[in-house]
Amino acid sequence: MSKPDNPRASNPKDPEELRFHYTPTHTSGPEEETDNPHAKDTTRVPDVIEALREEFGDVVLSLDRYANEDTVYVRKERIRDVCRYLREEENFDYFVDLGGIDRFTDEDRYEVFYNIVSTERQKRIRLKVRVDETDMRVPSVEPVYRAANWNEREAYDMFGFDFVDHPDPRRMYMPEDFEYHPLRKEFPQLGVPGSLPLPPQTPDGELTMDPFAAARGSQPVKSYEEPPVDQDSE
Amino acid sequence: MAGSNGSNGQGFFTTRVDAILNWARSNSLMPMPMGLACCAIEMMGFAGPKYDSARFGSEAMRFSPRQADLMIVAGWCSYKMSHAIRRVWDQMGDPKWCIAMGACASTGGMHRCYGVVQGVDNFLPVDVYISGCPPRPESVLHALMDIQEKIRNEYSVVKDYAHGEAASRTPVLPENSDRFPGQLEKPKTPDATLETVSATARDEDDDPAEPAVA
Repeated sequence: MSKPDNPRASNPKDPEELRFHYTPTHTSGPEEETDNPHAKDTTRVPDVIEALREEFGDVVLSLDRYANEDTVYVRKERIRDVCRYLREEENFDYFVDLGGIDRFTDEDRYEVFYNIVSTERQKRIRLKVRVDETDMRVPSVEPVYRAANWNEREAYDMFGFDFVDHPDPRRMYMPEDFEYHPLRKEFPQLGVPGSLPLPPQTPDGELTMDPFAAARGSQPVKSYEEPPVDQDSE
Repeated sequence: MAGSNGSNGQGFFTTRVDAILNWARSNSLMPMPMGLACCAIEMMGFAGPKYDSARFGSEAMRFSPRQADLMIVAGWCSYKMSHAIRRVWDQMGDPKWCIAMGACASTGGMHRCYGVVQGVDNFLPVDVYISGCPPRPESVLHALMDIQEKIRNEYSVVKDYAHGEAASRTPVLPENSDRFPGQLEKPKTPDATLETVSATARDEDDDPAEPAVA
């Protein structure tokens, strides 16, 4: 069993360490926390959360604990200040991930999450902001963490967030003229037919706008004359 | 060479140019490995020493489309990649063949998704589909043998004098009108036109200069 105060201490020959543990789905008490080696307490930073509460007051909306990991919900107008505080005062120097979540609820439909690591503390913190459908603006954290640049572009591409003050607010994956945000729940799984062009069926032909052209009988021209198939010879 | 006639120990043999062309073509396919995902790993096994596509003469993977005549689309194809694939396909010289390797290249597979083309046959003329996720290298070998059989049954040159426009202007010679001498494998469909041609040749054997009316 690894010691909780040193997350890097590990003995692979220890059978206790190889035992399979379910990640607890309920709120775990303090006595269970050290029982599960897979939910290491690297995502528990109570002192940082306390410091955030002192610094920002009610900007820190709530604290959610799931599977022994803390998630801090922050008011979205101040997310950049919170990130700057974490970076400059609390040594959270490594921006890992940012992404969007569509909860498909009536209010506060979207979430943006921020995973940040302090390499000095060997601790990580997860921040979340809630974004309502009517106001998709979120302050960009790119001025604080430059690594957030492409992640914010991706979140904009997939969900349509408006990252205010982002230096390069283009789509990340989809074409520039794509009209939809594909990871929204209302977007059809197979896409909107005709929104993405396929290549032409001949070298100098028109683009194929039907993504199921083959199912509708389209047959791209072969470069040779195919001999007819004799059914009897098989 | 199987089916050749008249060597008689004289140090030469005769065959049809179609048969020898198809024989050469089918045994020297140069695949263009369009490896897009994990199927490409199996495609490497297909080309490697264990499964050894060199036995079928197609060990020379050509990453340049100008030198390839068989495209193996291995893996899922996104809408963005489809344009590049079509461009590479258009750069390959004729005649060319295409294998859709695996479930994703054939139908989109498990990627029932807005970003993945639901089968490369939506924009490529696919000859052989391989099932599997990913297919075993044996399956790829089987697909290659299917392509070879297809090539051997094609009319590459014979079309000029027996099927194409030139047929009406070509004198029917007795040795030409034999049905597929020198062919490695009998074509699955000796079609009616060839029957007529050989029948005409047999009837009018005394006048070889007569143009064939096919």
